[in-house]
Amino acid sequence: MQLGTRKLLDRAFSGLGICSILLLAAALLIILAPMAGRGWRAFLFRGTVEYRRMMLERFQRGDREAIEAEEAQAAKARQGAFDILAAYEKEVAALGFLERRTRQDDLEKVRDCMRDLLGPLPGEERPVLPRDQYGQTRWDRAKAKLDRLLLVETYDYSDPTKMGVKVMVPRVDRFKGTALEPLFTTVPEHLEAMMLPRVEFYWRFLFDVSHDAHFFGGVWPEMLGTIYLTVGAMLFAVPMGVVAAIYLVEFAHEGRVVSILRTFISTLAGVPSIVFGLFGLAFFINTLGVSGSKSVLAGSLTLALLVLPTVIRAAEEAIRAVPQTYKEAALSLGASRWRTVVTVMLPAALPGILTGIVISMGRAAGETAPIIFTAAVSVGKPLGLGETLSQPTPALPWNIYNLCSEHAEVNEIRHVQYGMVLTLVLLVLFLNAAAIILRARISKKLRG
Amino acid sequence: MSQAELSLTDPLGRPRQSLLLSKRATRAKQVASLAGRSVLFLITSSSVLAVLFIFYYIAQDALPFFRLRGAGEFFTSSEWYPSAEPASFGSLSMFFGSGIVTLGASLVAVPLGVAAAVCLSDVLPFGVRQLAKPVIEMLAAIPSVAYGFFALVVFAPLLQERGGAMLEVAAYVIGGPLAFLAAVVLADLTSSRAPEKARWAGRIVAFLLFGGAMAFGLVALGGMLRGLPIDSGTNALNASIILGIMALPTVVSVSEDALQAAGRDLREGSYALGATRAETILRVVIPASASGICAAVILGVMRAVGETMVVWMASGNAAQIPSPWYDLTAPVRTLTATIAGDMGEADHVTGSARYHVLFAMALSLLAISFVLNLASEGATRRARRKLGH
Repeated sequence: MQLGTRKLLDRAFSGLGICSILLLAAALLIILAPMAGRGWRAFLFRGTVEYRRMMLERFQRGDREAIEAEEAQAAKARQGAFDILAAYEKEVAALGFLERRTRQDDLEKVRDCMRDLLGPLPGEERPVLPRDQYGQTRWDRAKAKLDRLLLVETYDYSDPTKMGVKVMVPRVDRFKGTALEPLFTTVPEHLEAMMLPRVEFYWRFLFDVSHDAHFFGGVWPEMLGTIYLTVGAMLFAVPMGVVAAIYLVEFAHEGRVVSILRTFISTLAGVPSIVFGLFGLAFFINTLGVSGSKSVLAGSLTLALLVLPTVIRAAEEAIRAVPQTYKEAALSLGASRWRTVVTVMLPAALPGILTGIVISMGRAAGETAPIIFTAAVSVGKPLGLGETLSQPTPALPWNIYNLCSEHAEVNEIRHVQYGMVLTLVLLVLFLNAAAIILRARISKKLRG
Repeated sequence: MSQAELSLTDPLGRPRQSLLLSKRATRAKQVASLAGRSVLFLITSSSVLAVLFIFYYIAQDALPFFRLRGAGEFFTSSEWYPSAEPASFGSLSMFFGSGIVTLGASLVAVPLGVAAAVCLSDVLPFGVRQLAKPVIEMLAAIPSVAYGFFALVVFAPLLQERGGAMLEVAAYVIGGPLAFLAAVVLADLTSSRAPEKARWAGRIVAFLLFGGAMAFGLVALGGMLRGLPIDSGTNALNASIILGIMALPTVVSVSEDALQAAGRDLREGSYALGATRAETILRVVIPASASGICAAVILGVMRAVGETMVVWMASGNAAQIPSPWYDLTAPVRTLTATIAGDMGEADHVTGSARYHVLFAMALSLLAISFVLNLASEGATRRARRKLGH
């Protein structure tokens, strides 16, 4: 090959490598961007008067008088729309039987949309479900609901060779020349006065319980469950892992037994996480009976097994990294081997071991599959410490899955889903960042 | 130091404690040390015990299935109707789903991962490498459910609406530069025999010929991809891409270690013979660290096979073998997702074939990951031996 071609290939090769690194960074950004970009809206958003009423009634927060005054103000703004609706209802009631029936359907849809937007219509009974008791609590959702009132989704089948094409038709077309027609200009015009949106900073999202399957409130039970599960897993995994590491580094003779031990540890690391879940169900719950059914305890034990190999490896590396001179100095001062390990090696290795523990905590906090059968439920209240021995708990990773694929109203609670994902990712990345900083400090110290 | 301080007796003439321990004290210490050591050993072996228990308890609940239904249907049929009357438990399509998703994930993770590892170990300066490391660590740290959420809520709708266009752009971006390079190399190779005078002209003509053919092929491929009908955003393609990104950190860090272990002298020897950096890496360093890279690939594959949440959320969960089998835009269902998804329904019928079939799947997964783990250990060991450590 020509020298020029070889040089070109060399450049292209380096370029390829750099491109792949850039692609990695881009992948990270692309995955994190939507979570960060939409997750904060769970905390900071424009809340409507309905939001403040909900907060007052469900969480006893806010100034009752001010909120009542606001409600009266909003009710005045809404009256015009309700009057138009009532006038049209009268008009429909006066129609002949057949026409009334077709009109009634359309009217019912409009009433549905209005109910969705503003809450129960005047004169209606208070609905059972909390989500129906209030209008839209968030301004962005209110605007989406307004679109549903103004536009009808229909499918255009004019081209028989293709699938139906979605087209949005203004709803007002169906009510041309009726008493309802002004409604479709009144509502968008006065929506702001009807809802009174105001910027709200809902930091309590992290510390509030949720109402009505996450329609209202925050993620405290999930946060608490994740914390319990993670700390519980560490309570079991850390002592076992550190002891195993000490044995492997300081006491074991490299030989057949140790190589078998290592093979088993790496096998344990390779077991698929869902198999851990099944094992937890079959062993901790069905065989040992640590709890009647799912519980935080069973989940913690399962997670502990999952992170055990990580803890062992990290602790082993940390102990190996302690300079041999420390050990030799301690031994030459007459300390026994035990004393050397406990008073010299372990304190010196502690930061490294902590790094491993923190990384394992991140792993345990984010794992979903092992807790599906052993600890997680979709809805629950925050548990007390004693209840963790026997009660299942909601947990962030499981509820993220649950809310975005099994919840009945997936599209209504996107902000909660994103908020939950952001919380979990931040939690895990925070733990990892702590580990990275810790490690940087250690290597600085070791360099002197 | 005075004489008195060194003497073995105290000022009153009584003997100081002997430096030698009595026989009894030594024995007591030995016993204590042995006991302590055994306790340590026992605790360490608890991980061995855990592995054995996992195998035992999964097998214990899996065997009733084979006793009830036999093994033939499970492994060879793709009729998965666990709640029908009569029920059928053919799991071939789940094995297929796990396989195709893993294959797709390795197609993403292996080339990218190895290229990134090469770049990290041989191309980038130290400072930039320190910046790239946290990126990889963060990718590894993001919980799988967050990846699954991204796949389901963000990526799937995008793929469904403009999947064809995205694939087309990807084909141009990846294929374009590669086709250009291939044309240059082919032109060089074909014209190298030509006489000195005609060489440049020959190269240009050959380049235009090859380049034109490749551009034509690329445009045809792009057009085909653009017209690709994608009925649902949750499919094997979606799961493969996201799983590939998840498996990347493992592949990158393990193969970077392997490349580093190949040593400086090997590289310097190759440079001294006049090879460029690309030639050194491709012909010397990568062959020397092939076992280590192999271990990295196996570990990445293991991560993809065992992953649950992403495939559960992103693969569409249709128990079928798409036709043709390589159709990545069809929804599939994997072993892990079946276990996770069906346990809720099978939970009330503990003892039925419906319940035990999930353990049979878990046992298969366990066996697969065990074999892969042994393979990766073997590869690592061979790598160590080869490089003389």
